Amino acid sequence: MDDLKLLRDLGTAFEHEPPATLARQRERLLRARPRGGGVGRWVSWWTAGLVAAATAVAVVVPTVLIGDRHPAAPPAGTDSVDVSGAMNVLLIGSDTRQGAGNVEYGPRMADAGAHSDTIVILHVPADRGSAVAVSVPRDSIVRIPRCGSSPAREDMINSAYRTGGAGCLRTTLETLTGLTIRHTVEVDFAGFKKVVDALGGVQVTLPRPVDDRMAKLRLPAGRSMLDGEQALGYVRLRRYGAEGSDISRIKRQQELVLATLQRLRDALFDPGRLRAFLGVMHESVRTDLSPEAMYELAVGMSETKLTFMTVPWRPHPDDPNRLAWQQPDAAELFKSLE
Amino acid sequence: MITQPATRGADSELVSASLTEPEAFAELFDRYSAMLYRYVSKRLGPEPAEDLVGETFLIAFSRRRSYDLAMPDARPWLFGILTKLISRHHRGEAARYRALLRAPVEAEVESPADRVAAGVSAQAVRAELAGALAALPAKDRDVLLLIAWGDLTYEETARALAIPIGTVRSRLNRGRRKVRAALGDANPLEEE
Repeated sequence: MDDLKLLRDLGTAFEHEPPATLARQRERLLRARPRGGGVGRWVSWWTAGLVAAATAVAVVVPTVLIGDRHPAAPPAGTDSVDVSGAMNVLLIGSDTRQGAGNVEYGPRMADAGAHSDTIVILHVPADRGSAVAVSVPRDSIVRIPRCGSSPAREDMINSAYRTGGAGCLRTTLETLTGLTIRHTVEVDFAGFKKVVDALGGVQVTLPRPVDDRMAKLRLPAGRSMLDGEQALGYVRLRRYGAEGSDISRIKRQQELVLATLQRLRDALFDPGRLRAFLGVMHESVRTDLSPEAMYELAVGMSETKLTFMTVPWRPHPDDPNRLAWQQPDAAELFKSLE
Repeated sequence: MITQPATRGADSELVSASLTEPEAFAELFDRYSAMLYRYVSKRLGPEPAEDLVGETFLIAFSRRRSYDLAMPDARPWLFGILTKLISRHHRGEAARYRALLRAPVEAEVESPADRVAAGVSAQAVRAELAGALAALPAKDRDVLLLIAWGDLTYEETARALAIPIGTVRSRLNRGRRKVRAALGDANPLEEE
């Protein structure tokens, strides 16, 4: 007598097949809002989040820090600074490949100028209730206006940064989107590396092993704890992921942002790590916002819901390896942010 | 340039992906909702099953950050959540088994295929089995049914209920002993 078999038979007799209406529960799941606050608040399920590590860390992280009930003391001499009202902030993760910390990644590119690897427009409405971070794929072919000595042209958007710096990229984006961009925040890759190290590394989970000489990265499949150097290599991988493109790279960056934010939450309970992190933040970020203004902004945004989006795009008709903005969707997106 | 993964990725990859793309979690629903539905329908009947499955995934989604990504298979995790939800219905569950004990068992068997598969002898002992299940302490019943009806291994059951594997074994043995006792009384012809 096999009692387990008899039990199974009994189960079969009781069993009902799922009805078609079970699909309603799937809808329920898709409509669900994540509960609770903390890291990674999502306004919507449907945000294809394509935000890049360095820049988002620069702005979102202080937000989370101060947003949590934790004693992140305001910078000395903080007075009230006017960062009120709706504003757009341009976040640039740059890849200058210059300086001691960076040159080993691309010695032959040392004279090629700075690349904007990551471009995000952060829109903060006046009431600070919700903010939108719009990623601009760097492979977007767009109309770049004349800046300085460079003539107007059609080119990849990150060439605007390479030839004209943050100012030119800002002008280009203002022309393209019709938005007024009030501030820029730049984070260098070397800075990102330090941020990760200050946090004691970040954890990623890889579906396949990585062995990429260009990114100087070798990792097994599964979970790995990455130090700053490895995290940087991971962000830079291009021949990994289904699309083998900028888009899958952006996805990895976003993954890393969330992993970093997760680490940061842990660090909140470790004063030593927290101090190291705040120090690194301060020296790794280049911006026209004063520390006081960043602090004010971060405080103002501590309860803000952040939505990640990307500029609607399609493969470029002339070059499938490049992107073109999908119109009128892109224009409508930016119009909604005015 | 575009390559598709040859095999289906691990559940843990979906959970991990859902951290940045919440909609990836819906794929877990597609994989396991039917399985969980069948399991609840055995224990509590079809009426509450749909809602409990939906609730299970909502809870799982809200806790996805605490999922141990070293575990490729999400079934024990989902069954664990579901088991907690079922425990709120344990009175209803026992009452259902007892009702089946009183009712003519044949009414539960709807198709001839079922009859063949289940076998005549099983039909004859179902009432006793149902009675034994109704009488089991809830904790022993959870273990027994996760294994018999949920098709979990001992390890997976231990993970689902967050108990040591030794506890799984002892609860299972206790449950099976009681079931066998009920069967032995009812069905001496089955003894070998």
